[in-house]
Amino acid sequence: MKRRKVLKNIGLFTSGMLLFPSCDFSDEKVSILLNKLYIDAKQEFLVEAIVGTLLPEGEIPGGLSLKVQNFVWVMIDDCSTKETQESFLNGLAKFDMKVLELSKKYFVNLKENDRANMLKNLIKSRQANSDIQNFLNTTKRIAISGYMNSEYIMTQQMPYKLVPGAGSYVPCKTINPTEKINING
Amino acid sequence: MANFNIDSTKNNTFDAIVIGSGISGGWAAKEFTEKGLKTLVLERGKSVEHIKDYPTTNLQPWELKHKGQAINDLRIKNPIAAKCYNYKEDSEHFFTKDDEQPYIQENRFDWIRSYQTGGKSLLWARQTQRMGDLDFQGPARDGFAVDWPIRYKDLAPWYSHVEKFAGISGEYDGLDVLPDGEFLKSLGLNCTEEHFKEVVAKKYGGSRHVIYARCAHITENKDIFTQQGRMLCQQRDLCRRGCPFGGYFSSNASTIPWAQKTGNLTLKNDAVVHSVIYDDTQEKATGVLVIDAITKETTEYFAPVIFVNGSAFNSNMILLNSKSKRFPNGLGNDNGLLGKYIAFHNYKVSISAEFDGNLDKTTEGRRPTSAYVPRFRNVHKQETDFLRGYAAGFSASRKIIQNKNGVGEELKENLLNPTYGNWRVGSHMMGETIPKEKSQLSLDATKTDKYGIPQLRINLDYDENDLKMVDDYVEQFTEMFEAAGFTNIKSNDNNRAPGNDIHEMGGVRMGKDPKTSLLDKWNRLHTCKNVYVTDGACMTSTATQNPSLTYMALTARAVDHAIKASKKG
Repeated sequence: MKRRKVLKNIGLFTSGMLLFPSCDFSDEKVSILLNKLYIDAKQEFLVEAIVGTLLPEGEIPGGLSLKVQNFVWVMIDDCSTKETQESFLNGLAKFDMKVLELSKKYFVNLKENDRANMLKNLIKSRQANSDIQNFLNTTKRIAISGYMNSEYIMTQQMPYKLVPGAGSYVPCKTINPTEKINING
Repeated sequence: MANFNIDSTKNNTFDAIVIGSGISGGWAAKEFTEKGLKTLVLERGKSVEHIKDYPTTNLQPWELKHKGQAINDLRIKNPIAAKCYNYKEDSEHFFTKDDEQPYIQENRFDWIRSYQTGGKSLLWARQTQRMGDLDFQGPARDGFAVDWPIRYKDLAPWYSHVEKFAGISGEYDGLDVLPDGEFLKSLGLNCTEEHFKEVVAKKYGGSRHVIYARCAHITENKDIFTQQGRMLCQQRDLCRRGCPFGGYFSSNASTIPWAQKTGNLTLKNDAVVHSVIYDDTQEKATGVLVIDAITKETTEYFAPVIFVNGSAFNSNMILLNSKSKRFPNGLGNDNGLLGKYIAFHNYKVSISAEFDGNLDKTTEGRRPTSAYVPRFRNVHKQETDFLRGYAAGFSASRKIIQNKNGVGEELKENLLNPTYGNWRVGSHMMGETIPKEKSQLSLDATKTDKYGIPQLRINLDYDENDLKMVDDYVEQFTEMFEAAGFTNIKSNDNNRAPGNDIHEMGGVRMGKDPKTSLLDKWNRLHTCKNVYVTDGACMTSTATQNPSLTYMALTARAVDHAIKASKKG
């Protein structure tokens, strides 16, 4: 049963649908509200697993702790054409089946290392059809955008100044090769 | 009842009415109220108060739900507005939605509208280049349109007047083709722009110039800005959100609050002007008929002088819709030329390239302007197989390569360690287009908008002259880019429809002769002298300069004239 219906039944919301961050169905874990897409927990969990593999946790926070998986869904939901949305969901389903076919396991049940290898292979592999490639490339592209535009990256790694201040523009600066490049600088 | 009517007429009577609160209407309001005239400004859009009504202005990038990208449903519903380069998640609320005011495109025309207090002055590109005599003399020299009734000397003091108040950052370039103004300090060209400037100066023997593009940003503290409550530009480069510092000039930050401070301003929002009222017995305009955008009620307002500053095409619409016994075809339209000879700026093509010099250099921070190449074609005499010419924007920035390869920690490592690439350079053309009789606006005979106002029919397109100019721009800039050692040169026909330049002009042109023009040298209708038009509608020819500064100067000059004329009475 689609969770949208469940939510309607419990009468909490009249429009949109709530997403849970993982298989945990408890009400406390509600994360985002989608406007158009109908997705189920399995789809959501799969995207979460892909984002977690693309941008894993480490010394520097990864995609999941910066909630990039939610951003992927929000962008597909709000900022994509109907065709892109359909192709995305279609690619997601085919990806799931392809992984099962290749490894006899669902992606979410693979070990971290196997997940990464699977993504690396499928992103460029001929075994993946264009729907799968589009899905993976779209997910990666949006995940990168969400990651690089996250508060953490834009404050801790590559600081962005909302108000740089008068006189802040330097028209000609000699590059210091040891200085790390700040794309928001 | 009789008393009530007298009272309501009295309450609705002002010393001056200004239709529109955008860049020119704001100036009319400032100049009138400062001189003590009780002034009514009618704005068809919502109220936008400086700072208070800039909902996105202080948002950090990560606080935007879609990181700046506009929502697809809104794009689909607003295909015209969404084509504007400035239509983004943080600015879409300042764009008028397409269904607010449908119009008929006889040829594709993207009419970008921004109905609210301040109008498009919140969203403009803030480029402020003066027109000069080489522009004002253009139609007479080259035999198109009609001769401008004014020359540079008529407008020069008024350019200075508005520049000192608005705040213009610029460099004194001393060019015949682009007069200098009253400048605050420049933010500078970067080293690759300087390189291009030197190469171009040398190659063309001083006949082509690359200069710092003058822009309406405060770069020096002056008392006049403090008095307006405005501060130095903080180089946020987020102007489209509205600037909480008033760092760039807008009606909202500058002229409107200034007018409000005098106590002489009445600003009415949601006031859609239906027409100007002409009194056949008094033989002059007496007021304006207004439809309330929310209640749809109509109200008449009265004043001895009326300024039409509704934006170029809306000002045409209002006059075309102002029908009386004396003017059955629209106010002031004895010669049948109202709505005709409209034109625009040709932005059809841009060009990009790379530069592998200055590799030890980069820029830091954000600069709200670029470099500018004033017109160099047909400047002193006809030299090409097309009339007039083009100016161009030019800018260079150091490319940063973000490596997006890999999966996992490798991807993170790549993303957080970008490298420098070559310099990226780019230019876009801004071509003068020739106003022609067949380029025209008219009111549809049957279709109306939700206020019952006839829909505008727009008939305007690129012509052969425009296309020749596009080819020449690509050819000349390719040559200039090659001379500068730029590589990987690519021209990009962006297929922009007229209108997307947001520089539509004309239809109520100025001229010397009432038989061939609508407005006299003071921007008054020849045949209804208490109505002035000082926005883009008044333009006899388009020149190549971004036109807003000229509208501001013409407006201040016209208000001065109107006040002097009323004193002579």
